[in-house]
Amino acid sequence: MLQTIELTKRYEDGLLALDALSLEIRPGEIFFLLGANGAGKTTTINLLLNFIEPTSGKALINGIDVMEQPLETKKHVAFVSENVMLYGNFTARQNLDFFARLGGKTHLAKSDYYNVMRRVGLQEEAFERKLKTFSKGMRQKVGLAIAIIKDASNIVMDEPTTGLDPKSAAELMQILLRLRDAGKAILMCTHDLFRAKTVADRVGIMKEGRLVMLRTREEFLQDDLERIYLNYMQEAVL
Amino acid sequence: MIRLIAKKDFLLNLLSVRFIIGFVLCLVIIPFTVTVSVDDYLARVRIYEIEQKKADDGMKKARVWSAVRPVIVTRPEPLSIFSAGITNNAGNSVKIAFDACPLFPSGHISTRDNPLLNAFFSIDFSKVIAILISLIALVFAYDSITREREDGTMKLSLTGQVSRISFLSGKLAGLLLTLLPILLFCYLLACLIIVVNPGIALSAADWGGIALLFFSSAIYMLVFILLGMFISGIVKSSSSSIIVSLLCWIWFLFLTPNISTYLSQSIVKTPLYDNVQSVMHDYDKAFEEDYFAVWRRIRNEMGIKNLNFYNNRDGEDGLREITGGTRTAPLFLLRLYPEIIPLTLSNADKKWALQRNYLGELEKQQRLQQRIALLSPSELFRQITEAICSTGAGNFLKYMEQIRYYREGVIRYFTDNKLFASSLYFTPQPLEEYPAEEEIASLANEEERQARIAKNSWMYPCLDTSNVPVYRQQQPFSLPGALDGAFTRLAALFGLVVLLLAAMIASFMKYDVR
Ligand SMILES: Nc1ncnc2c1ncn2[C@@H]1O[C@H](COP(=O)(O)OP(=O)(O)OP(=O)(O)O)[C@@H](O)[C@H]1O
Ligand SMILES: [Mg+2]
Repeated sequence: MLQTIELTKRYEDGLLALDALSLEIRPGEIFFLLGANGAGKTTTINLLLNFIEPTSGKALINGIDVMEQPLETKKHVAFVSENVMLYGNFTARQNLDFFARLGGKTHLAKSDYYNVMRRVGLQEEAFERKLKTFSKGMRQKVGLAIAIIKDASNIVMDEPTTGLDPKSAAELMQILLRLRDAGKAILMCTHDLFRAKTVADRVGIMKEGRLVMLRTREEFLQDDLERIYLNYMQEAVL
Repeated sequence: MIRLIAKKDFLLNLLSVRFIIGFVLCLVIIPFTVTVSVDDYLARVRIYEIEQKKADDGMKKARVWSAVRPVIVTRPEPLSIFSAGITNNAGNSVKIAFDACPLFPSGHISTRDNPLLNAFFSIDFSKVIAILISLIALVFAYDSITREREDGTMKLSLTGQVSRISFLSGKLAGLLLTLLPILLFCYLLACLIIVVNPGIALSAADWGGIALLFFSSAIYMLVFILLGMFISGIVKSSSSSIIVSLLCWIWFLFLTPNISTYLSQSIVKTPLYDNVQSVMHDYDKAFEEDYFAVWRRIRNEMGIKNLNFYNNRDGEDGLREITGGTRTAPLFLLRLYPEIIPLTLSNADKKWALQRNYLGELEKQQRLQQRIALLSPSELFRQITEAICSTGAGNFLKYMEQIRYYREGVIRYFTDNKLFASSLYFTPQPLEEYPAEEEIASLANEEERQARIAKNSWMYPCLDTSNVPVYRQQQPFSLPGALDGAFTRLAALFGLVVLLLAAMIASFMKYDVR
């Protein structure tokens, strides 16, 4: 379970990037966080993962404060970032192996790595190839594999579909659904309204550091999500 | 987790191009410099042996005490292969004379026979290590943090079971794991070249010195690794990190040494040695006048009208060897020398007072330079290697001090054994053998007369100089001695490590991982 309580972040330059955000993503739920560029999505993730310190408020993972017990909370969360280069001189499997061990998974066999890579749709011939020869989408898939192999109860993703071809993106959604069914709480920051519509259990829209809308699947299916989104965005213009 | 990160970095470093380049660089440069240094050392040993033999022969062949001039030939230290220090700036032999105190050695300055060749003879192993290892350390460390940030791997790593401090420790351990073998390789290569050379025999203490050198090099390398990591932790991108790192490198390795020399020379002005020499020359003039005054007085007192030396050999430094002739000359000299020698010695002391002042100024300048140079870890390292190999200015000055002390001992030997007052000081011919003037005058036969007065040095035996004190280096190379000389600087270098480590940790704790 991922939780933010009145989470606020004001950067050193005075910009209020996140304004008392309170969110809760429960096990077995896919939460899509939408919002324009600069709305504060990445900031939220950085706070959840303790990369930066909040100005006030709290971020909790499985009920544990990330500031107080960072190592403990990181056992329960996996992370997919938007554009990860990984170690270019390592092969896909070596990268996977390193980060799996770092995540506490020390007893994995080669076949485990291969299975995960197959699952994210990476072509077999690339498994033992150096990552510097990979395309952006292929690297993204390895990043996904790293998150999946950690087998944490929460998954945080920052625009994971950038660079993925349509087929892979669709496959990713299938993976997400399966992970959700396995009881994981998934936070997904994205601009992809279409995917939100198809797989999200709940959708939140952020604007200037605030959560301006929160709908469950039933609610946004009745209405057109696109229209809702644009409505909220337009209010800013008005 | 630290082990895991260290292993990962070690593997990545091994796979990187810079590792291969660094390795090849060492493989080419180290054997080359060590070979040059070894050749240089062997040439110096050869010269030492020749000069030492000459010095021994000189002592054995002396027939009068005034010709006894112990010559101290500096034996080259095998460790000077690693750090030449100032050994090539000074000569290798010191002659002990009564008319002057030795200031600097004379003799062979370097083994370079052709003055037209300007190669980098002064580059030795420790300098190469100072340059190469610092560069390699920086080249490996400069992007250790920025690269992880740029590739997004830092964020991903920190989502794992690893705290910032262990992440940093892992990276540091990984760098050490990569670079220590390179350093060790350099030393093994150098030792191999030395060991296979039959002309060089290393004592156990020498090996200890080499181990100490390796230890200092490792700390020196650590300084630059930490510096690189620190820079990497305070700038955002790898490209600015490499620029800052290289600027630091140039500053530490090339600018500070020159700036320190320049500053020390402009702050402490040393008098020209020419001026010192001209005053010394005046002293010698005054001494000469005194000398001849005594000469004339004694001659008058003895009522000598014609003072003739039959066979005479004399030199500016007080050498006198006569044979043959009548008894007048030796009797005259027998009275002259006990009066002249104190004058000679006090003139030498007066000149030494001048020289000591001059030396004091030089020392002041040198100490200031060393102190300013402490701003640079590489200068610190150079001073440490010089102290370990006992080739630095400090050792040199101590050495000269010992030699001057030894000279006092020789003078004491002469006075105690009344050698200045003995006829053997200036003639090998026993005094009784010299005929009196009247005896010669009474001889009518020219042939007989010749037989009485015509004597030559070679007719008499050489002196037994085996009891003259022999110079012994008071502190031959020893490990505790070397450690003692290097200790404070080694501690300073270590302090720098601690400081950099603290600064690096402090800055990384606040590092923006995004
Ligand atoms: N290090 C920083 N210092 C100052 N301001 C920052 C910093 N990082 C982000 N911001 C600001 O905080 C606000 C939120 O940024 P954030 O990266 O969270 O947006 P985002 O929703 O992820 O946008 P995008 O969709 O473009 O990824 C932006 O206005 C941004 O300019
Ligand atoms: Mg973002």
